[in-house]
Amino acid sequence: MNLEHFLKSGAPGWMDVKGLDADIVLSTRIRLARNLDGYRFPLSFTENEAHQIDEMVNEALNSIKAEGHKFSHFTIKEMPALQRQVLVEKHLISPLLAKKEKSASVHISNDEAISIMVNEEDHLRIQCLAPGLQLAETYANAYKLDSKLEVHLPYAFNESFGYLTSCPTNVGTGLRASVMMHLPALTMSKQIKVVTQMLARLGMVVRGIYGEGSENLGNIYQISNQVTLGKSEEEILKDLQEVALQIIKNERGAREALLKNSRIILEDRFNRSLGTLKYARIMTSEEAASCLSNVRLGVDVGIIKDVPLNVLNECMILIQPGFVQQYAGTTLQASERDMYRAKLLREKLNLNNQKLLEKGEERYDV
Amino acid sequence: MVCEHCKERQATVTVTQVVNGQKSEKHYCEVCAQNFHPFNLDFHKEEQIPIHQLVSNLFGLPVWNSGTQEKAQSTTQKSAKCPTCGFTFRKFLNEGKLGCPQCYETFGKQLPLVLTKIQAGTTHSGKAPGKPNHHNEWIKKQIESTREQLQLAIHEERFEDAAGLRDEIREMERRLERGGVDTP
Repeated sequence: MNLEHFLKSGAPGWMDVKGLDADIVLSTRIRLARNLDGYRFPLSFTENEAHQIDEMVNEALNSIKAEGHKFSHFTIKEMPALQRQVLVEKHLISPLLAKKEKSASVHISNDEAISIMVNEEDHLRIQCLAPGLQLAETYANAYKLDSKLEVHLPYAFNESFGYLTSCPTNVGTGLRASVMMHLPALTMSKQIKVVTQMLARLGMVVRGIYGEGSENLGNIYQISNQVTLGKSEEEILKDLQEVALQIIKNERGAREALLKNSRIILEDRFNRSLGTLKYARIMTSEEAASCLSNVRLGVDVGIIKDVPLNVLNECMILIQPGFVQQYAGTTLQASERDMYRAKLLREKLNLNNQKLLEKGEERYDV
Repeated sequence: MVCEHCKERQATVTVTQVVNGQKSEKHYCEVCAQNFHPFNLDFHKEEQIPIHQLVSNLFGLPVWNSGTQEKAQSTTQKSAKCPTCGFTFRKFLNEGKLGCPQCYETFGKQLPLVLTKIQAGTTHSGKAPGKPNHHNEWIKKQIESTREQLQLAIHEERFEDAAGLRDEIREMERRLERGGVDTP
C-alpha cells in the first residue's frame, strides 16, 4: 500500500465497526514496548545500530508474512513533515517518532489496526487498535503478533525485570493499555475531577487525545495503566477494564440525571453546536472539538437523529491541524486553518445530510 | 532537621516538587520517604514531575544540569559504568532513562530502589519470550488465592459466595489443563 492510502481518509477502517459500549468508549489501544538484546536503546545508539535494528525488524515481519500479516513499511526520514503529522494525528505514529533523525520507521497494517514503530523510545513499539471497549481482544492480537516476532527477534528480557525498556516506567510487561472515553456528562457535572483523582490513586493516568495539554478538549479522555512491573498482563487489563466499566456506569448515570433535570438546555446546546458545525465560516480546533462533543452526546441520547456516529468519528480526526492542511493541499497559518477547518466540517456534515434527504425521499415515494 | 511527616526521626531525604512554577521542598526521614508514593500525586495535572527529577528526588540528589554533570560525576565516589553503553547510575538518574538492556544487570542492585517507587513491585510476573506456559504460573497463583477466599467464605457461612468461588476454581483448573489462557 502506498502512503496515500493511510493519509486520505480521516477515520481508519477499523473505526467503522461499532464496538462494545461504543457510545462512550471510542477506542481501545494496546502498546507493547520491546527491545533487541545486544543493542543500545535509541537514546544512545549509533546510526549504524539504528539501521541494523530497522533491517532486523523488517526481515522478521517479512518472515511472518505467510501467516497472514501484511504491513506497509515507511521510513520516517523520507516522509514530508506534513504527512508525518497526519500519521501522528491518526495515532499511527507518535510525535517522538515523527521527529527522529536517525533510522526510524513504521509498519502499518492495511486496516490501520496494527502499527509497529521502529526506533522510537524503544526498538519496537507494537500497537494494536480496536473500536469500543475491547481490552482482552486487542491484547490477544498484540500477544499473537509479539509471540510470532519473538521467534525471529532476540528480545531483551531478564527473569526478574521482564522485558527491558529504555524507561523504567515501561519495564516488565512493556504493556500500556488505553481506553479513549467520551465523558461529556461527567465533565459538565464537574464529577470528572473526582474520577481522575480516584484513577491516580489506582495507578492509572488520564490524558487528552489531541496531544499534551489537551486534557479537556472535546471531553475526550484517554485512560491508561501506569504500572507495568509487578503485575501480570492479565491483572493490568482486568484492573483497567473494571475502572472503565465503572466510569461508563457513572457517565450513563450523569447523562440520565442531566436529561432529567435540564433537557431543554441540553437540546438547545446540541442543536446550536450542530448549527455551528454546519454553517460557521471560522472554527478553531477547540470550538470544533467542543461542538463535535455536544453533537455526539445529542446523538447518543437520541435528541439528534440525522448525524451518523462514523461521520462524527471522522470529523474528530479531521479537525486536527495536519489533516486540515492535508485537505487544503498546502501548509497554512493558524487563522487560515480555522477557515479551512470550518469549510471541511461544512462539507462533511452538510454533504451527509443531503445524502440522507435523498434516501428519505426514496422511501417516501414507496 | 526533623522529618516533616512523622516529626520524630531525623530527615535525610529531600523531595523537591515544582507545581505551577512554584518550587517547594519537603524533608522526610527514610521510613516516611519509603511511603511517599509518586502516584499519589495528581498525574493529570499539566505540571507533571519529570521522571528524572522524580528519581533524583528519591535519592535526595539535586538535578544536575548537563554543564555541571561532569564535575558532579568526578566528585562522587567511583560508580559502576555500564560496559555496553557507558551509562553510570547518576547518568540514569539525570536522564530518567537507561542506555541499553545491559544497564539492568549493571545497576541490578540499585534499580529496585527506584522501581519500588514507580511500579507495583520489582519482579516481573507476566509474559516471557519462548515460555508459552508462563501464564500457568499466574493461573496457579489465582487458584491459590481463590482457594483462600473459598475457605474464608465457608468459615463465614457465605455459602452462595463459596459456590461461586468453587466454580471459578474449577474453570481455572480446566484452563490449566488446556495449557494456559483461552484467548491468545
